[in-house]
Amino acid sequence: MDIPNLLSDFSQFLREKKQSGVKIAAFLAHDNIPEEMMDACGIFPLRMMFGGNEELMNASHDYLPPSTCAFTQSCIGLFANKPSKYRFLELVDYFIVSNHCVSDICGSEIITKYFNIPRLNFYVTYTKNENSEKYFRLELEDFKRQLEDIIKSKLTDDKLYESINKFNKFKQKLLELNSLNLIGSKKLRIIQEAMLFGPSYHKKLTDFIENNRDKQIHQVDTLKNVILTGCSIFISDYLVDLIEDAGGNVVFFDTWIGNHYFSQVFSKEELNSSLSPYDLFVQRYKKNILSDHSVPDFLDNKIAQLVKINNSYKKKTGKNLGVINHIIKFCDHFSMLSSYFKEKLQLDGIKVLNLERDYSGSNRGQLSTRIEAYLEMLE
Amino acid sequence: MSLYADEIIRFSSVLKMSYNLIAGRDELKRKKLREKKHLISVALPFSDLLFGFPNLIPVFPIRMEVFKVSKYLSYLGSASSILGWDNVSKILGYVKNAGIEDVNKVIDEIIEGVIETLNEKYNEMYDIGVERGISSDFCFALKTLVGMHVSKMKNVSATINYSIRCSAWNKYLESLKSIKSDVTQIWLDIPPRNIGNAIELLEDNIRHALTDLEKISGNSYSDNQLREHFKVSNQIRRDYKTIIYEIGASDFYPCNPATFSEILALLSISFQDYNSNAKRYAENIHQMVDEMRERIKKGIGMDVSKYHKIMVTPMFGGWEPKTHEIIYKLGGRALYVDWDVLHFLDDIPISSKSDPVEAYAYFLTNATENGIGCDNNVLTDSYVRVAEKLGVDGIVFNQLFGCHSVSNCYRLLKDKIRKELEIPSISLTFNRIGDNIEQVTTRLGAFMEMFK
Repeated sequence: MDIPNLLSDFSQFLREKKQSGVKIAAFLAHDNIPEEMMDACGIFPLRMMFGGNEELMNASHDYLPPSTCAFTQSCIGLFANKPSKYRFLELVDYFIVSNHCVSDICGSEIITKYFNIPRLNFYVTYTKNENSEKYFRLELEDFKRQLEDIIKSKLTDDKLYESINKFNKFKQKLLELNSLNLIGSKKLRIIQEAMLFGPSYHKKLTDFIENNRDKQIHQVDTLKNVILTGCSIFISDYLVDLIEDAGGNVVFFDTWIGNHYFSQVFSKEELNSSLSPYDLFVQRYKKNILSDHSVPDFLDNKIAQLVKINNSYKKKTGKNLGVINHIIKFCDHFSMLSSYFKEKLQLDGIKVLNLERDYSGSNRGQLSTRIEAYLEMLE
Repeated sequence: MSLYADEIIRFSSVLKMSYNLIAGRDELKRKKLREKKHLISVALPFSDLLFGFPNLIPVFPIRMEVFKVSKYLSYLGSASSILGWDNVSKILGYVKNAGIEDVNKVIDEIIEGVIETLNEKYNEMYDIGVERGISSDFCFALKTLVGMHVSKMKNVSATINYSIRCSAWNKYLESLKSIKSDVTQIWLDIPPRNIGNAIELLEDNIRHALTDLEKISGNSYSDNQLREHFKVSNQIRRDYKTIIYEIGASDFYPCNPATFSEILALLSISFQDYNSNAKRYAENIHQMVDEMRERIKKGIGMDVSKYHKIMVTPMFGGWEPKTHEIIYKLGGRALYVDWDVLHFLDDIPISSKSDPVEAYAYFLTNATENGIGCDNNVLTDSYVRVAEKLGVDGIVFNQLFGCHSVSNCYRLLKDKIRKELEIPSISLTFNRIGDNIEQVTTRLGAFMEMFK
């Protein structure tokens, strides 16, 4: 589906939700938000996962300086400019202020304050230890209270289990999709659509997988296969097309919109255990060692994972994968350690392109050139 | 810069603090090599826990650098050890008054050097940080901190890492292991909000940090020692606030306003590690208060009632040091009060809490809830609180290039300043010391025009 149609369908989908009494809560945070809790309360969790452009970024400068993460700038721009394709944002009832990064805090606060959207809070500690797990539980309890205030009734464990199961099945389906050997852009678009619509997309996802099982590609010799890591490629962003135009193919989306989201599934044992839904969330948080939000071991964990993926690929093909580290300008999490990241992976023979960019149209040519030059270096 | 020399030499406390700030290298070297003490890297005012141990020395890493003028200051340091700092100060004052040219030059060089050499060093650290590979998109503070660690991390046994709201700060801390992987990193997580039993969790995090510090120190942590230190650090905080609110807000200064700003800047930098010796720092700052009051009592100083009070903030992450001089020349007086805005000058509530760890947890929670934490609404309220308390006439907001944290609250703050304070404000962008002076001058010129 092309972008205008996707957004138009989504707009229709949200309007129908609204008409049936569903509230909508949007959020910028890329991780750790317990969307199942919202779902169990009949609130639709809307991820801000839309790519930007110059106009949107410029519109944010009344609120934040231009040296702010280009994604946050664009999100503010969407609320400030209200482009017609994104009118559905007018349907947002609540906005979650979280601290995935400081731009999440600042951007979300601005959206709630200046666009008059009631605020929900959900914060996560930066350091991972036993106490941060306990703190995470406190935030879950507080979030539950905030949601119950909205729905004016209790959120029962039964309801919550139901939503947990629903999201779990949905993520498992996405994992199945991820295992198909499809061209990257095709896979990404389905992942984006699915994550936007949520579990109600399950049937379409199943159909897509069935229809494409026999259409997998076997062009390992002609395509330069790469892992995309760092910042996500958002809806309407052209980056994946640039990679393919240059002869590359993303075989693994090691990003929030991608593996990082759907790999966080519960096992059957966990779901059948006596753990309360909140225990399950804490468990998931604990196991989420690849979250870019965390310190101090995030990058080492990420590097270890990428080396593992590469080794497995190399065993099959005899070749190394390339790694494109996508850094949206002024992103704290991926920019700070990019030199170290590159240095470390290169020690393992993996070539890395640290690709920094914002959403201005003028740098498209430059991005192409850099990607082409990089892909030429790959085996 | 000689503008300040006349003034500063009459404050032996200022001289001492300056000396300890930039000539600390030899002392730190001695502590490490001869006395076998452990240097622990700190930044932001997070050094207090280290004083719970007899052999841990907090150091803001730039202080391990060699500063160009430290030779002269070393002479003064040597003289002070024989004559005492008060006498050195008096002699300097006398020599200055007598107009002995060569000595005069040396004195000017010393005072000028304190500021200029610090600025040069900051820029040098900035360049080292960028060479090391930190993206130029990050703020001045983080670039210089990376530079400081590339340069001197080899001398420290550990870094103490408090996670705060700024994600770039937290990731910078994570990146330190890429500079030197065998230096212990001690993490102390501050929960983002005070909900449920979050304070108890913070207490536990503090105890874990203390256990980690015990491993480095080889000594058991002492409640008594920490409690004693908190009493000292509370005294420092009270004296610091006296300088800000009693002296800074008054109409008669013990020196010219630019010098006063200079002293506030020195305090802002040195407060991060108390120049590695809290008791000495407490004595110095207390003496500073006494010297200031004494001068005011004697009518020595300057009537500043016609100089407009301008709060310049935030500057702790880097600012153009010429700002206060420019403001002074334009008829204003610049006040640097960041640590109080961020609630780092509040008392550690040791009198109401017998357990020092619990007291420290309350202190950190208060700073997070009401100052540097995750809520710009609260943070901007704190700016307004301090501006009101000082009765400032205007606010210059220092928008640090690449700062995605505190600098990003300006829009909200501007709205509050307009509605609640009804005073003018302006933002200045800052990237690197000395890079943007013409623009700063022009913008401040236009801003100060509003008061005429």
